[in-house]
Amino acid sequence: MSAAVQDDRAESIRMIRDSAAAVAPPGGDLKRVRELRFQDPGFDPAVFREMGEMGWIGLRVPEAAGGAGLGLGEACALAEELGAALVPEPLIPAMLSAAILAGTPRLAKLLAGEAVLLTAWQERADTLEVPGNADASRRFIPMAAGATALLLPVREGRKLALYEHPAAGLTIERTQDGGNVGSFTPDLAGATKLAEDVGPALEAALEEAALLTGAYLLGGMERAFAMTVDYLKTRSQFGRIIGTFQALQHRAADLKMQLALTRASIESAAAALDEGATGDARRAAVSRAKARAAEASLRVTRECIQLHGGIGYTDQYDVGLYLRKAMVLANQYGSASLHRKRFMAVSPEVEE
Amino acid sequence: MDAIRIPPPAELDSLEDEHFRQVVRAFLRENYPEHLRNPPKRLHWAENREWYMKLAEKGWLCPGWPKEYGGLGLSPAKQIILTEEYERYGVARTNDHGIVMLGPLVIKYGTEAQKTFFLPKILSGEHVWCQGYSEPNAGSDLAALRTEAVLDGDHYVVNGQKIWTTLAMDANWIFLLVRTDKNAKKQEGISFLLVDMKTPGITVRPIINLEMHDEFCETFFDNVRVPKENLVGTLNKGWDMAKALLGFERIFLGSPRQSGYALSRLKLLAERMGLWEDAEFQDRYARLRLEFEDLKALFGTFVEKLKRGESLGPDVSMLKVIQTELFQKITDTMLEISGENAGLLEPMEGNRDLNIGGLYIQARPATIYGGSNEIQRNILSKNVLGLPG
Ligand SMILES: Cc1cc2nc3c(=O)[nH]c(=O)nc-3n(C[C@H](O)[C@H](O)[C@H](O)COP(=O)(O)OP(=O)(O)OC[C@H]3O[C@@H](n4cnc5c(N)ncnc54)[C@H](O)[C@@H]3O)c2cc1C
Repeated sequence: MSAAVQDDRAESIRMIRDSAAAVAPPGGDLKRVRELRFQDPGFDPAVFREMGEMGWIGLRVPEAAGGAGLGLGEACALAEELGAALVPEPLIPAMLSAAILAGTPRLAKLLAGEAVLLTAWQERADTLEVPGNADASRRFIPMAAGATALLLPVREGRKLALYEHPAAGLTIERTQDGGNVGSFTPDLAGATKLAEDVGPALEAALEEAALLTGAYLLGGMERAFAMTVDYLKTRSQFGRIIGTFQALQHRAADLKMQLALTRASIESAAAALDEGATGDARRAAVSRAKARAAEASLRVTRECIQLHGGIGYTDQYDVGLYLRKAMVLANQYGSASLHRKRFMAVSPEVEE
Repeated sequence: MDAIRIPPPAELDSLEDEHFRQVVRAFLRENYPEHLRNPPKRLHWAENREWYMKLAEKGWLCPGWPKEYGGLGLSPAKQIILTEEYERYGVARTNDHGIVMLGPLVIKYGTEAQKTFFLPKILSGEHVWCQGYSEPNAGSDLAALRTEAVLDGDHYVVNGQKIWTTLAMDANWIFLLVRTDKNAKKQEGISFLLVDMKTPGITVRPIINLEMHDEFCETFFDNVRVPKENLVGTLNKGWDMAKALLGFERIFLGSPRQSGYALSRLKLLAERMGLWEDAEFQDRYARLRLEFEDLKALFGTFVEKLKRGESLGPDVSMLKVIQTELFQKITDTMLEISGENAGLLEPMEGNRDLNIGGLYIQARPATIYGGSNEIQRNILSKNVLGLPG
């Protein structure tokens, strides 16, 4: 990349970060997030619509198809900002749906945020595989309580057809972050076919969703860690600021290194994909980043609780919200273990 | 199937250890309410009163108290067996601060009048106690506590705030560490005071914890008048008394049972996830399992010391650190292997034993209360290793 192109990219990423303030104001509290917890649908449809108006749902959709045609660098920056504010609207699942709706009449309403179309691809826990069995139950659909309709991939010969299925008869289970996941058993009789083959598009979209989820987790752990460092600088025990205890200083330094590794992993993966990495190189980059983000987010949020002492174990104090979010997202679109295996299956030898 | 006869309470302390274990098992099978096994959350008084009263009725409520005060007079080693069997059976913790902490304190330091007044009321379930030590600015540094008690005629007037008071909303009495001399060195101006929670001026405000459960509270004292005779032991010697109670608590916090329970859940979960035979999982599991076995062996050496009548040194802090961190590692592993089930608010498949997220969250405070693990490591490095500073 030339210097000028690089500057443009950096500027575009900065702009996206700034625009996130519309939904996640910097320094804003988590009042809205708290009010939406443990209620149906778990998010605010009006904010979802706003995300459509901002062009976020179609951020990765080519301009020709009505999207913004931006890169993963921008998308990850946005996800990170939203993660820092624990924004509950299902943007990442919606972006996944947008990627497989290209060329169908349903795309416009989704991109506008007027329809919450969620893809019911998953048949078991911890997988990125889409068997597409016509009558197999679909599980773990994020924020399904707010779905307008479901998108159902179905295996037909060597192709993966896409159907629209009514969002009726869903079983909703609440999640630790106050959101929900849905499951249901499809019935093709009431479904409408939208596309003949979304197989390759869905595979790519799932990888992007995994990477974006990693970026969202990164934003969350950065914020939880910042709160913790502030606390270490203000809380006093034994007549000293607790941040002067070397045991705690070293713990904080260790967590900082986890954050640095996660950021490097996410940003380099986004850059690799934006530069056109395909096949094994693409899979390896995504899996490396998601494995790191999953593991680091759990560790960082756990230790943030510990470093706070009793107050960290209250619902009222915000750091716990980040722990609960990490519990829900760490394994979404593949656990650390799944991604480590996937990495080893495709990664080239270590360069010496 | 039960050939085991349950002897009267007064005979329990003289049984052989293994026989005693069998008796405890039989006792639980016979008396413990099935619906209270392995409750997903700490129970409130309204829920576990039934079991508390059953224990009281059978004379089993206070295992560690001497028989003359209505206890079972069990040796520390037998108490550990009892605790192990309770935990194995999934017995819920009761509102046990009166039994475990206040009773022994009154027995050791209380006046005859205090013993005759308070002990029978714990045994009958009339008094339910909570522990008011921590304050917003006195957690790890407990001796910095500021809630003060000022003598005014026949009463102490108490002003201040306690926090993290577990199950204060269920209690009708609270034992407090209060400051009675502001000019003395901080450990030397603290006294031990017993307060009826119905006294005017006390406000209890529940705090929702990370489990979304109202388990601990803030407790406020605004000119609360407490009769002078409710002071336990010597004025300004409350700190030493409270410390004397702690040593014994620490071995209980180091009991491997909690990890044993979690390990059995991890195995069940791995089976449900189709991972039990997986070589990589087997290695992870083996690591945790071996740590559990080694912890058990180490725990055993401390129990042996107790059996020989020796007192425990500061090295008992090791048990608390190893056990609580092992417990956390096990729950971390459960989370890591369960895919999207990790994020569910309710137990997976509606099975209490697969309460993945719940257990993960419950494991967090174990490294905070009872002296945080950082504080335990400070004790180990200074008082065991003799490192300076
Ligand atoms: C579930 C639960 C139940 C509880 N129940 C009760 C109860 O019934 N009654 C009661 O009185 N209290 C209770 N407590 C309070 C408990 O004893 C305190 O939370 C504990 O002592 C820690 O104090 P703190 O919360 O103020 O944290 P702080 O002392 O502020 O600690 C914050 C962080 O700093 C670390 N730290 C502090 N000092 C040092 C040091 N010198 N070196 C290195 N690190 C240090 C701590 O380890 C921790 O990580 C309960 C707590 C919990 C979590």
